[in-house]
Amino acid sequence: MSEQSQIKGKIYDIQGFSVHDGPGIRTTVFLKGCPLRCPWCHSPESQSFLTQMSYTATRCIGTELCGECLRVCPAQAVEQGKEEVNPADKSVLHKAVWHRDRCLQCAACTQVCFPEALSLCGKDYTVDEVADILRADYAYFSGSDGGVTVSGGEPLSQIDFTEALLKVVHGEGVHTAVDTTGFVPQEAIRRVLPYTDLFLYDLKHMDSAEHERITGVPNELIHENARFIARSGGKMQIRVPVIPTYNDSEENIRRVAEFCVELGDAVTVVQLLPFHHFGSAKYERMQMYDPIPMTLESPSDETMERYRALMESYGLPAIIH
Amino acid sequence: MYQFSPATERILRMREIIRERIVRYDSERARIVTESNKRNEHVPPMIKRARLLYDLCEQMTILVEDTELIVGNKGPHFFSSPGFPEWGNTDWVVDDVVNRGWELRDGIYYNPPADGIKYCISKEDHEYLSSIMPYWKERKMGTMIDAWKPEGYEELAALEISQYVPKGGMSLFGLPAGHIICGYPKIINMGYGAIRKQAQDWIDEHRGNLMGDDVNKYMFYTAVVITCDGASLLARRYAAKCEEMAAACTEPGRKAELEKMAGGLAWLAENPARDFWEALQGVMLYQVLLQIFEKIPGPAIGRFDQYTWPYLKKDLEEGKLTMEQAQELVDAFFLKLNCYYGAGMPKLVDVTGVGNTYQNTTIGGVDPITGEDASNPVTYMVFETVGRLKMHDPTLVFRTHKGTPDKLWECAIATSKMVGGLPLYYNDDVVIPCMMNEVGYSLEDARNYGCIGCQEIVGSGNDYPMPNGAYPPHATLYWAAIFDMAMNDGLNPLNGVQASMHTGYLYEMNSIEEVRAAVEKMGTYLMRLYISINNYAESLGPFFAPEPLLSMSIEGCMESGKDCTAGGAKYNSFGGTATGLATLADSLATIKYMCFDKKICTTRELYDAYMANWEGHELLRQRILKEVPHFGNNDPYVDEEMAWCVDMYYRICKQLYSTRSKVYKAGLYGSADHIVQGHYTWATPDGRKYPDAIADAASPAQSRDKKGPIQVFNSSNCYDHTKFLGGIALNLRMHPSVLSNDEGIAKLRDMTKAYFANGGMEVQYNVVDTDTLRAAQADPEQYRDLVVRIAGYSAYFVELGRDLQDDIIARNENRI
Repeated sequence: MSEQSQIKGKIYDIQGFSVHDGPGIRTTVFLKGCPLRCPWCHSPESQSFLTQMSYTATRCIGTELCGECLRVCPAQAVEQGKEEVNPADKSVLHKAVWHRDRCLQCAACTQVCFPEALSLCGKDYTVDEVADILRADYAYFSGSDGGVTVSGGEPLSQIDFTEALLKVVHGEGVHTAVDTTGFVPQEAIRRVLPYTDLFLYDLKHMDSAEHERITGVPNELIHENARFIARSGGKMQIRVPVIPTYNDSEENIRRVAEFCVELGDAVTVVQLLPFHHFGSAKYERMQMYDPIPMTLESPSDETMERYRALMESYGLPAIIH
Repeated sequence: MYQFSPATERILRMREIIRERIVRYDSERARIVTESNKRNEHVPPMIKRARLLYDLCEQMTILVEDTELIVGNKGPHFFSSPGFPEWGNTDWVVDDVVNRGWELRDGIYYNPPADGIKYCISKEDHEYLSSIMPYWKERKMGTMIDAWKPEGYEELAALEISQYVPKGGMSLFGLPAGHIICGYPKIINMGYGAIRKQAQDWIDEHRGNLMGDDVNKYMFYTAVVITCDGASLLARRYAAKCEEMAAACTEPGRKAELEKMAGGLAWLAENPARDFWEALQGVMLYQVLLQIFEKIPGPAIGRFDQYTWPYLKKDLEEGKLTMEQAQELVDAFFLKLNCYYGAGMPKLVDVTGVGNTYQNTTIGGVDPITGEDASNPVTYMVFETVGRLKMHDPTLVFRTHKGTPDKLWECAIATSKMVGGLPLYYNDDVVIPCMMNEVGYSLEDARNYGCIGCQEIVGSGNDYPMPNGAYPPHATLYWAAIFDMAMNDGLNPLNGVQASMHTGYLYEMNSIEEVRAAVEKMGTYLMRLYISINNYAESLGPFFAPEPLLSMSIEGCMESGKDCTAGGAKYNSFGGTATGLATLADSLATIKYMCFDKKICTTRELYDAYMANWEGHELLRQRILKEVPHFGNNDPYVDEEMAWCVDMYYRICKQLYSTRSKVYKAGLYGSADHIVQGHYTWATPDGRKYPDAIADAASPAQSRDKKGPIQVFNSSNCYDHTKFLGGIALNLRMHPSVLSNDEGIAKLRDMTKAYFANGGMEVQYNVVDTDTLRAAQADPEQYRDLVVRIAGYSAYFVELGRDLQDDIIARNENRI
């Protein structure tokens, strides 16, 4: 058993048949922790580098039948909630209510919550354990140019784990992709380059000051790393989230296109991702503040199509979603 | 992405009439059969039945509608549902009108609006059907078969582990076996004249010289001659009707069409089809004969694209038809099939579905001789019809293999996106060896397979397959209930009835091996008992209900002079299905995990908890749901139990045979049995409560698959699919976003192909999200064309009962 195979990574999900994270049928490993704070983030549970509590109220079966969490919580962070009527059988119940502000994150309640209303988000896996899970899917990759995507959060922030995992999977002949913000030391990119067939590379805003205002970090390092990948013969699928009022100006999209042209052959395709509200339930579960107002509408199909055409006018193959 | 083109205006009009259908029960057929039977009361059934068919062909009302290109009706109304009093089939409607108080408006009774399907019957028809009940009471097909029954039947009826053996029992011969693909190519390529001649020649040769078995052959061939005469007569009557309408028609285009139809039908009365239209009309004419002759379940259409394409090819080469015209004919053909829905007992409709005619149609696949891809333009046309008309019926089976063109895959998946559950994706590379190994089909015949009913696999026009046995169907032995009995010393906890087989109690068992042994013991006992009853009915069936009409097109029968029910077909088998074995596997895994491996609770505690339907044991139930591995997640802990369950079931099947057939086919499919079975099955250790549905067909239990479709596939491949010739149904629900673009379609295709490459036999996709289903429940009118698949059939979602709707919603929604 090599030392590398025992390196641990903090993972919040492993998703099979993940059809929108790179070419073909892929299984995506989601790592926890990210240096950016994009307000439209649809995986708020991916932001913190720590294991966190999460509460899904719909799963709670009520304190009448259970109530174990109330009994074990040392900090009174779980309380009995208001009276509710179960729509299925019209019975009256009081669900548990979790208060993040009082929670010590001791996770005692998750041990007794069988319906998994209270659960932990983020679990440490060794490279070996993850590789074993992925191997069950290998047969489904080959026919479709598919493979494994390591995503996040920012997977390159857990560089030792990510490098070791990619090395194993790539070594077994599987196509690999890394979904990155690009906001990592160049050294991290250099380490995974030999085992990465494709980078899914996000460009969120071309103006560095705006980028910093929105995501918390400037974009120079991101651009530099993209150029480094291109120079080193790496391939990139550029991902552009199109978020109304944040980065959806035509000027910004044009600048993205210009930058992609500069990167040359390294860019395989530009993927335009229309904003959606899928993440809002997750903010609720984590009891985190959702920075995007519910009133913000997704960009129209026409807008997306216009930007796709714009990309193509620069000679860039482009897809939506 | 494949785009469906719009249908013509008259096709859309006809579709609308069908969508708004009110099935009209009538007494015309009942009257003809009653009079015919009185005239032939003591004539041997083989001849009596042939004469009945002739009388029907002579006397039934002939209808041709203005919108129709392909004709053929079951009665005096566009949506007639004829009565079959000789099968005891009219009793329920007579009673239902009275018992449930159908509303009388303008001389017509209408069934309660809460029913999913709309029925009506005129006052006169109802009165007539009531009046013949005393006559038929002692003259039904099953009268003699039911008058005495082998020992054990009463026990089976008391146990109530099949809805077809209810408390007090029911007829053992209430329907013909059906579930068959007749020899449509023979009918259209040869014609009734040539078939009749074959029979007449034998009769002439043997006149006055009937030695040994010749007597039976003589009667069979005579029945075939009478049947052919009936068929020719019916064709001529349709021809005359078209001619009459043509004469009265002032619109030149339609007039020419009617003239062409009249000429074609007159020709088809005795001759083989000459062009594509005649081929389709020839198939339909035979289909009408099957439909009016008896209440035949599952008369499947077979490999439609294979036997019609040569005709279209010729027409196209000769410039007689354009592709657009051909497409309209295909539309008209499948719409016409939708008119053959017959009224059924409301309780039965819960299982078999609203508007489902079970005229399963098979397309794609390989050529029987070369083994190369056999798809052709008609294959695409059928998808086009089903997709653009959002047609939930007939069930469409798409045979795929390694050489299936990508373009055809794309077309099929575009159809799946439009129409829930259609097509069913079947894997030739698994099915063909399965047919050869299990029943001994030749390679050529195996390559020519088709599907019938829900999805049972049978030969094309050479097979008497009885995949659901004689009536009652074997799809309905409730395995989860058998499991409960095995854990209860043979007592059914639902009704407290004790079987004569004792297996001990769960709390007396000390290992998973002992638990398994108890299940196998109880399963073996009940399967043998059930099939014994089948074999009794099956052995008498050929005398009371021979099938000269079916037999004359099925390879082997005309050659041997032997009816298909008596074993005249080239291939013979029978079988059934064990639906929802995942509930069993999950229950076994629960006992193993909770009681023997982790020792979280004792067998007594687990037994007490689920015997109490989990009342007061919710925490234990939640723990089981969370901790115990469930089938469908690629976890060997439980997949091993699933493999044991299906092997056990297969082992039992191999011990069963009848006089006609040595092979009992095992199947893992079901129509909507799993929902009904839920009501007949007490709680189970896997955390399922009474009366929740058990798992459907070969799928994981509802919402227990948490890791996406690939892990469902990996779990499914934990057992050898090539043993289950009855068929396998694996239901997967996909979120529509998966198929939002070409890439998604390609990915679904590649995933399905990978599943098949790993040994998967079948998969069917419902492409619909939970939000849409909930919205449809709230506002049915807005979603009237939303089609979903249950297990063995697809249906308009808004026409389904609430528990069936909820079952679809409860299935895991696979998204990205």
